[in-house]
Amino acid sequence: MKRLVLGGNDAVAYAVKQSHVDVVSAYPITPQTSIIEKIASFIASGDMKARFIKVESEHSAMAAAMGASAAGGRVFTATSSQGLLYMHEVLHWAAGASLPIVMANANRAVAPPWSIWAEQTDSLSQRDTGWIQFYASNSQEAYDILFLSFRLAERVKNPVMVCMDGFLVTHTKEPVVIFGDEIEEFISVKETTPLLEVDRPKAIGALAFPQDYMPVKIEQHKRISSALAEFKTLSDQFEKISSRRYDPVYVYGEENADIVIVAMGSNAETAHLAVDLLNRDGIKSKLVKIVMFRPFPKDELIKAFEGAEKIAVFDRNISMGKGGITKDEIVGALGINNVVGIVCGLGGADVTENDMVKVAKDILEGKIQEDMILWGGR
Amino acid sequence: MIIPKEEIMKSNHLACPGCGAALAMRLALKALGKKTIVVIPACCWTIINGTWGNNFAGVPVFHTAFATTAAVAAGIRATLEMQGKDDITVMGWAGDGGTFDIGLQALSGAAERNDDIIYVCYDNEAYMNTGIQRSSATPIGAETTTTPSPIVKDRPKKDLMEIVAAHDVPYIASATVAYPTDLIKKFQKAKSKKGFKLIHILSPCPPGHKFPENKTVEISKLAVETGVFLLYEIEDGKYRINKKPKFKDLDEYLDIQGRFRNTPKEQREALKEAIKKRWEYLLVKAEHFG
Repeated sequence: MKRLVLGGNDAVAYAVKQSHVDVVSAYPITPQTSIIEKIASFIASGDMKARFIKVESEHSAMAAAMGASAAGGRVFTATSSQGLLYMHEVLHWAAGASLPIVMANANRAVAPPWSIWAEQTDSLSQRDTGWIQFYASNSQEAYDILFLSFRLAERVKNPVMVCMDGFLVTHTKEPVVIFGDEIEEFISVKETTPLLEVDRPKAIGALAFPQDYMPVKIEQHKRISSALAEFKTLSDQFEKISSRRYDPVYVYGEENADIVIVAMGSNAETAHLAVDLLNRDGIKSKLVKIVMFRPFPKDELIKAFEGAEKIAVFDRNISMGKGGITKDEIVGALGINNVVGIVCGLGGADVTENDMVKVAKDILEGKIQEDMILWGGR
Repeated sequence: MIIPKEEIMKSNHLACPGCGAALAMRLALKALGKKTIVVIPACCWTIINGTWGNNFAGVPVFHTAFATTAAVAAGIRATLEMQGKDDITVMGWAGDGGTFDIGLQALSGAAERNDDIIYVCYDNEAYMNTGIQRSSATPIGAETTTTPSPIVKDRPKKDLMEIVAAHDVPYIASATVAYPTDLIKKFQKAKSKKGFKLIHILSPCPPGHKFPENKTVEISKLAVETGVFLLYEIEDGKYRINKKPKFKDLDEYLDIQGRFRNTPKEQREALKEAIKKRWEYLLVKAEHFG
């Protein structure tokens, strides 16, 4: 093992290099581009042996990834924002066809107006495409979750999206522990199965009448739902190698908290500081970070919220006409009514620990009772 | 030449009687053999190949989204290369809507990269699977449900062969089911060449073009003889005309098809002009780059 100072994008590229990927198909988009540039340089130097299809669009990036995966390859791609939205149709197709593709997404706001900065509305609006979704909060998590994603995707036969807030995670340079050979026994296990074999000619995705379509979709729902348990198994193995533990939900702070801060991605890093400040001020608080958003970790969240007085969900995303998306998911899944949703940080707007502390205090003092948009002006 | 006897495609497929695209696939697979993987986007062949659990092509088929044929095929090839499987042919098989229109970008991408695939467009000159709407492959004067008389199509069909030729790929050919040995030879040649190959097949459609289902081969032949559909190849940039048109009376081709029943006289003339112009262009190219 060695330590390198890397942004999330570089960390992802290193993980891809070490993951015995057969095919990469990708199209450039800020702030993802440095992932595929790094991969191209690894291939050019001979450090990575993969076919890199330089496609003409994101729609084709995912389409080529599907073909490569259906033929039995381990496949990676990366995108962001508009590119992810352009893939939308093919995202459904990849998941429906049970193809274990792994994709990194740099979370970036959706235009108009043009923005290249962090926001999670892009990937959260792909919520229903059938992809497993992880949200990394820092470079190390991005690196580690990539390895877990390849194994998980192939284990449950379902594609995985690893999301990182644009610039805040993709480009913030931090020390990252990079594996040497010790990751080999974990990542060299490939559970890819070719769907297209000339000796056993099958048609994949043929027209299904209702009596055939329903069972296929029930099976797909079971497949992605099984990812929660399978992730735990793989995480156990990964922990033995890395001494780092990943769970669908990460918890930090006091039990029976007066206030729980829920965050995902880079907001969770900020929330760590907020929780420390609140606890210092004598307010029992806790961070609940959603690491795996799909399948939705309902049971893990119920456990994490035990004894919580109030819950503040910080969403760097918005469903127009409704509000924060993870807040809505939590309330919908758990049926609880002590939750306040705070939409914040759209288009890369800063969200500081002091903002979170103030919101937490205002909620406890009854000053904030309804969902709100946190925006102090320019 | 003897047409291979082995039938890879099964006979109980779901094509309409007299479907040119079903006959084309049957011949194509005879030429390519069993070690072929086919990618099919939204098109008539989505249905022809059979519903869930069926696979009448008899080779592996990946049904895919409308615009993705060439990209999916490129992806399959990439993995096969990594696996060292170089004896498998990857073929995209799309209609004219999936080729001339919605799939053109992915097609251009694969052609520019020179991905090692055979891309086939079976061209029935409209969106037939959705019930006969005009595409950019619909000829001047043709009536469709979105170009009903008197607003029949007034623009010439795109020149797919020349669009792909502009990408400098190793092999491009046109074919029809009226000349089966010519068609089979072209698929065999495409299989033998590395890189991007395009085969453009005219695919008469009895319900869409409105003619009796026993006339498919006859209409395919008339298309060549009247000069409506030119049989030629572009191999490594060299043009070769496979069959010089006899320039039979165009009306003979038009009058046999109901889709031209309401074509006004000036449109017929425009179609004749377009045919003449394309032939003259091709002649020049064949002379200079033959």
